[in-house]
Amino acid sequence: MGQKNPLSVLIVEDEVLLATELEYLVEEAGCRPVGHAMSSDEAVALASQLQPDLALVDVHLQDGPTGVEVARAIAHDCGGVALFMTANVRRLPEDFAGACGVIGKPYSEHGVRSALSFLTACLHEGRAPGPAPAGLELAPAWAQRWGLDQMAQAS
Amino acid sequence: MDDFTVSLRAGDDLAARHGLDDPFAAAIRATRMSMIVTDARQPDLPIIFANDAFLSLTGYARDEVIGRNCRFLQGTHTDEGEVARIAAAIREGRDVACDILNYKKDGTPFWNALFVSPVRGEDGDIHYFFGSQIDITEKKKAELQVLESRRDLEAAVATRTRDLSRALEQKTALLHEVDHRVKNNLQLISSLLMLQVRKAGDPQIKQALRGMLERVNAISTVHRRLFQADDVQRFDVAEFVRDLVNDAVGASGRTDIVVRMNLERVDVNASKAAPLALVINELLCNCLHHAFPQGHNGHIDITIAREGANFRVEIADDGIGMNKASADQPPCFGLNVVKLLCQQLKADCETTDAQPGVRTTIRLPVNGVH
Repeated sequence: MGQKNPLSVLIVEDEVLLATELEYLVEEAGCRPVGHAMSSDEAVALASQLQPDLALVDVHLQDGPTGVEVARAIAHDCGGVALFMTANVRRLPEDFAGACGVIGKPYSEHGVRSALSFLTACLHEGRAPGPAPAGLELAPAWAQRWGLDQMAQAS
Repeated sequence: MDDFTVSLRAGDDLAARHGLDDPFAAAIRATRMSMIVTDARQPDLPIIFANDAFLSLTGYARDEVIGRNCRFLQGTHTDEGEVARIAAAIREGRDVACDILNYKKDGTPFWNALFVSPVRGEDGDIHYFFGSQIDITEKKKAELQVLESRRDLEAAVATRTRDLSRALEQKTALLHEVDHRVKNNLQLISSLLMLQVRKAGDPQIKQALRGMLERVNAISTVHRRLFQADDVQRFDVAEFVRDLVNDAVGASGRTDIVVRMNLERVDVNASKAAPLALVINELLCNCLHHAFPQGHNGHIDITIAREGANFRVEIADDGIGMNKASADQPPCFGLNVVKLLCQQLKADCETTDAQPGVRTTIRLPVNGVH
């Protein structure tokens, strides 16, 4: 699935150990890690420079709880898709700041791998291959865009 | 003739018609209830009779009240509305009763339960008004006190409620903060373990680290579940098992092992969640790693059922069985963990040969350990 056209992925995370491990997971899921930012300024600069397909965004960065604004900037200005990775799922705004969803921390290897391969399919096909895997919660707007509300009705 | 003399004479006329032997007149003169009579046929209704009780209530002498309208009893804090209500009733020739603040001669205020009633002559015209007064100051004071203490109480309750809401908000914020930190630290621990698994060359070390990673993941799953529910004190075991199975089986990549779940909803106290989760994790991972060598497919059955005050967790596989599995494995740390945690949970743990495979049954009290 990722062989022909792997997703380019920007990691926005202030914990270096998490970011390092996440880079491995991204690669193993058939995606291409293109950069790592630890603060909001860095994240927005890298996102507009690298134009990644997907940005994995922690809410708490080095300059505070600025991840939500990073996601908004990526969605509006850079044309990329953001995905939150945070322990504070309940604190996200209702519209997910334009991000496609959230993986709650603590996540497992398997959770991240299945989420990434699901998102790869969604972004390539413009449609979900099936229901979102456990551990990945989609934003309502994106679930609708990828046809998941119809799937839910059909089942 | 001045007002006083006219009124005095009108009073005398009235008295002349009710001599000393008139018991009604005697009763009105001597009763302890304050009473007056005013003359309706003179302008401004002057008092023409006041009994001793009226004089002792108000502190005036008789010659200070005869010939005057009773408004001299009113003062600074008398309710104008009530005065107007009395005036209207008198104008319309009706009875009226009201509680009104009046003042004694020395300026002391008192609450007066006033009753005024017209007295008609044989011609049907109103000749007199009769008024009676009862001092209800004590009763009013008590009422006011009740009102005041209720107001104080309501204010105190409002303040306390505000304080409590603020304390609750702070507590909730703190709980969120702690939850956030626990989750981030679990993430850090599992990321560290994942990194080390990658770097480890020795397959046995790799396997040991994987085992630890699985245990940390089981605890992580507990924490994700614990805070999702509104009640942070209770832990839904069935939901946890579903999450754990999905993750552990998915991570093993063993699509040839089918896990069948028959899960009744059982809630346990949150303090039991982590040890119970670790026990279930060990048993499940044991099946996944040891019961089905590569190329050997099969089933794992997981059951959670209530049995009176206990509940039963059963994990059974139809794999290669105990002897074969344990013969080529080193003594298992995982099963030691299970044994210790079952002691902590006051649970019975029994492993039997299911032919084929192994069945482990754990029975533990639902409310035993808090």
